[in-house]
Amino acid sequence: MIRLLLSSPVLIVFIAILAVLSLHLGYRPYATSTVIAALFHPNGSADSIIIASLRLPRTITAISVGAALAVSGLLMQGVLRNQLAEPGLLGVNAGAAFAVVLGLGVFGITSFLSLTLLSILGALATMGLVFGVASAAGKNLSPISLMLAGVTIAALAASMTQIIIILDEATMQALLFWLAGGYADRNVGLLGVLAPILWLMTMCSYLTANLLDAMNTDRDTAHGLGVDVPLMQFALLTFASVLAALCVALAGPVAFIGLIAPHIARLSGRIAHRVLIPRVALIGAALSLIADIVARFVVAPQEMPVGAVLALMGAPIFLMLLRRNRVRLA
Amino acid sequence: MMSMTGWNIRIWFVPFATFLSLLVLATGVGSSWISPSRVITALAGYGSDTDMLIVWTLRLPRVMLAALGGACLATAGFLLQRALRNPLASPSILGIVDGAGVGVLVFLWLLSDTANTLTVSILYQPIAASLGAVLTALLVAFFAWRDFGQPIRLILYGIAVAAIAKSIVTAFVLLAPVFSASKALIWLAGSVHAAKWSDAMIVGTLFFALWPIAMLMSRQLDQSVLDDETAVGTGLSVLALRGCMIALTVALTATAVSFIGAVGFVGLVAPHAAQALVGLRSKWVLIVTPLLGASMVLAADIIARTAASPLELPTGSITALVGAPYFIYLLIRQARHDQ
Repeated sequence: MIRLLLSSPVLIVFIAILAVLSLHLGYRPYATSTVIAALFHPNGSADSIIIASLRLPRTITAISVGAALAVSGLLMQGVLRNQLAEPGLLGVNAGAAFAVVLGLGVFGITSFLSLTLLSILGALATMGLVFGVASAAGKNLSPISLMLAGVTIAALAASMTQIIIILDEATMQALLFWLAGGYADRNVGLLGVLAPILWLMTMCSYLTANLLDAMNTDRDTAHGLGVDVPLMQFALLTFASVLAALCVALAGPVAFIGLIAPHIARLSGRIAHRVLIPRVALIGAALSLIADIVARFVVAPQEMPVGAVLALMGAPIFLMLLRRNRVRLA
Repeated sequence: MMSMTGWNIRIWFVPFATFLSLLVLATGVGSSWISPSRVITALAGYGSDTDMLIVWTLRLPRVMLAALGGACLATAGFLLQRALRNPLASPSILGIVDGAGVGVLVFLWLLSDTANTLTVSILYQPIAASLGAVLTALLVAFFAWRDFGQPIRLILYGIAVAAIAKSIVTAFVLLAPVFSASKALIWLAGSVHAAKWSDAMIVGTLFFALWPIAMLMSRQLDQSVLDDETAVGTGLSVLALRGCMIALTVALTATAVSFIGAVGFVGLVAPHAAQALVGLRSKWVLIVTPLLGASMVLAADIIARTAASPLELPTGSITALVGAPYFIYLLIRQARHDQ
């Protein structure tokens, strides 16, 4: 049953339904005919504009970011052989966000492209720091210790972000919403640039499937299989961090998708990354869409930040998985 | 370094001297600088009228509150590290701090009228914070029930519950119209701004009520360092002690957080520094830890007030800047030690 539910065709249908729902539902619900008309025969009416330039970009953002974050989490888990690894919990999101706030608040950079580059730099620096801590601690570093290091680095980045925000109250309100993570009212131009990159990178991650399988064996076996372990670790973590950084640039730091999606995907038992990667991407997109739809209703007529919804949804799922011993700690 | 000796006058001099000099310095720092000698004269009751007014009415409540809050957090951290037998645990990791934050925000939200003024006395705020902290701790305990013997899992449950609490706080700050977001943010980041004597009295009473309980348990705390079976062999009820210590931790944390905001990392750094100074005997550590915790918050408060003056930085951000790197250092050292 669970295997069927998690199979790609079922997930794709599910995502399609959610995507259609996310175009219909919201502060102002629309009839299907209006949605179809707006998408295929835009007539310049208010409804048409709302659907085509607000709802549709939002749906696309949700799908792209969800899939990318989920894959980023899976890659980090695979490389670090740690089922608790995730861009949010490892502090990568917070590092990227700090870099963006620093650029915006202190150096006055406003170009979206420069901010995206800063986000990437911040994510890579944080990942480097986390990985540096892991290497300095030696190979016996437990998953929990790595996670504690990540949570701490995230706290550090968050408090530096806070200092900048307090020093620069002018940009604060806008930043607060972005910092909470969300898909609404994002810059459409930026989405046009980043969405294709995210999709491409998410698909490219499929090429790493065999590598990840090899790396999930022990170090010597991986070496015997012809894998240059340190180099590949470096390459894959960089890839995963860039993926997360692009998501942060687009939607702000969104946590828990990267943690939950891989765990849900593994519910049907251990499987090869060849199957796991596409499944995780699809589950991530679905979770992200659900959270985005829920965000429109919990505190209607206001909108909850998607980041908060995902934490509220994701944390209980994580707790459940922990309780049922679904999370391997060693 | 980890000597078990208690009374070595040179070692004991350090925390007391640090604490007292920071106390005087923190009282002197502000919009008008008062030199340490004048502070001491005023404290002794012989200062000029202006000095007496500034020191006793304006500065000292705040300084005492910072010191007592730091003492509470540091003691809480030590008890939790012993309870979970994990030197890396701290109240914020169990989600208690964020839970207290939710309590305060819900309180401000529910009990404010349309003009953004509270309909009840602000004195109830600590009660709301404690409620939040206790409920969060209960939630973690509920999830961790079966895993009470596995401290590591407890921490994971704590991280997840903390994430829930954090996102509730974020949503509140963004959505609740009653808040000017910056005010809420400053409270959340930790600040001892605008303290009154009554606040300091409440925190002081609670601290000096709870701290002796910890002191009375110091012998059991020393036994609990042993592994579970050996500890049971010495006649100790490990789970009861663990529950008791966690309860104390929650009470102390709630007290501190409700008055000085979410100041993190004090509960982590102070106990380690104290143990490096006086060794592992709980009796001695429990005396030095609060002093160091108080010193840490006082120092952070001084920096927070002076670094970007006239703007005031959140105390919690300053402690994080110091505490986070230290934590990473501890983590690496512990991992190397385990190998």
